Amino acid sequence: MFETPDDRKYRESHEYATTDGETVTVGISDFAQDELGDVVFVELPAAGDELTQGEEFGVIESIKAVSDLYAPVSGTVSEVNEALFDQPELVNESPYGEGWMLKLDGVDDADFEALLTAEEYSEQTE
Amino acid sequence: MTDAGRHERVDGTPYAPHTPEQTAAMLEAVGADSEADLFDVPSEVRFDGDLGIEPRSERELRGELSETFARNDDLTEFLGRDHHTHYVPSVVDDLSQRAEFLTSYTQYQPEIAQGFLQALFEYQSLVAELTGLPVANCSMYDAASGLAEAARLAGRVRSISGTRVLVPELLHENKRAVLDNYVDGTDLEVATYPMDDGNVDIDALSGLVGEDTALVYVENPTVRGTIEEHLDEVGTITDEAGSLFCLGTDMAALGLLEEPESVGADVVVGEADALGLPTAYGMGLGLFATRESFLRQVPGRLVGASEDESGRRTYTLTLQTREQHIRKERATSNICTNQAWIALRTAMHLAWLGPDGLVDLGNQCVREATSLAGDLDELAGVHAPVHDRHHFREFAVRTDQPAPAVAADLESEGFAVHVLDDHLLQVCVTDVNAAATDELVAAFEEAI
Repeated sequence: MFETPDDRKYRESHEYATTDGETVTVGISDFAQDELGDVVFVELPAAGDELTQGEEFGVIESIKAVSDLYAPVSGTVSEVNEALFDQPELVNESPYGEGWMLKLDGVDDADFEALLTAEEYSEQTE
Repeated sequence: MTDAGRHERVDGTPYAPHTPEQTAAMLEAVGADSEADLFDVPSEVRFDGDLGIEPRSERELRGELSETFARNDDLTEFLGRDHHTHYVPSVVDDLSQRAEFLTSYTQYQPEIAQGFLQALFEYQSLVAELTGLPVANCSMYDAASGLAEAARLAGRVRSISGTRVLVPELLHENKRAVLDNYVDGTDLEVATYPMDDGNVDIDALSGLVGEDTALVYVENPTVRGTIEEHLDEVGTITDEAGSLFCLGTDMAALGLLEEPESVGADVVVGEADALGLPTAYGMGLGLFATRESFLRQVPGRLVGASEDESGRRTYTLTLQTREQHIRKERATSNICTNQAWIALRTAMHLAWLGPDGLVDLGNQCVREATSLAGDLDELAGVHAPVHDRHHFREFAVRTDQPAPAVAADLESEGFAVHVLDDHLLQVCVTDVNAAATDELVAAFEEAI
């Protein structure tokens, strides 16, 4: 069984978004990292880039596949997890913790609310 | 399929994969009546005639081909301009034509092609050593496709925001045509910068390079054969503007000229087949090397070294997620092939020369060009070299007489040179034709 914490929301393409009221943190789900297998490379946008909900913001590559990453919400990239450039395996080890990818500012609540709840996302991945 | 089935002879070869029974089974599975139903070729482009090829015996065919080949001009070529010939030692023919290396299909499967993969790894290692750049692919089609791929790489790199690709106004037209073709449909646009007496006009270039510049392409030696003297400055200008510096060169020149990495080149492209291959059939071998930071953006095939489960050193294609057969529309390049057998020959030729041999060859290319230009310059009505620069292998010649007429006279005397314009010729001398320079000078004297 995969972890799908209910303190965050999910996109069908397996990205999650969690908010502290100001900043939204984006990464990929436990299910997604397991599907990919050992992650070897993550390509992320730069701080200051504007993302639109649903657009590709980067690429994640594992030993068996390569996938695009899609923005779960619109916003401005305020921070990128540069640790992933040297330690992409953090995505496997801690997808909801040290394996986070982006922090976004200026996110519209409506974007956030439109995402899947943990329960809805779990149904999709069962 | 059973092992017995694999060796059934179909149409004279065990390698044709489908027996008639298998073809019928596949057609039934997809619901088609015949193979023709699988192809939708409009009737107006179908050839529906007789090819008119008469059958001949091998002896008849050989005789006919000999007669055809005998109609070729037998000229001593003093031709260069991006295609150079150096003496290829017979060991290269002998080794590269061993059956293990000869196949129409590039041998990439690590289970059965360790020897070939190692040879390609050696080629990459030689390119890395000569350019000073740590990542080299195992070749593009030719120098032109290498340049075009470098431009597209500059367009993909996130840290590069510009879209202009600056190329020298003196550039082989084929390179420009391929580059234009490759950037068509991207945000990139190609513009030229002026030259000053055969080299980069550094003040003009400095004024042109800015934040809108993705890549600056400079050649050393240039298409006119001059040795570029402003590489360090180009490296500084491109660094300050945040654009990439792409240097065009070749394997024979790299033994003598400045190491590309040391002058700030970010990508090195060029025609690697100056070594390993005679200048026949228009074949090329595209050199491509770059910095490690662009590893994920490199086009083409990369052979990497690894270990098998027993801990033995092994070779395999690596980082294939960049490539078209994995990434489709997100691939770094539209090709996932290369000039493997030519790369093998070039690596053999380089290994045979060794560091000293390569330097000797480079020195000879400078010495012969200087000497021949001096001899031609002695003739009344001939000025050589046109550019007041050092030259490598080739140089431009100005003639008081119309250049096309001079070239035609030289051809009737058995020599081929390039015509650049009404009063400009270009002459290229290497270790291959150096013995004929006195005769060429004599023919020039007759022609003018």
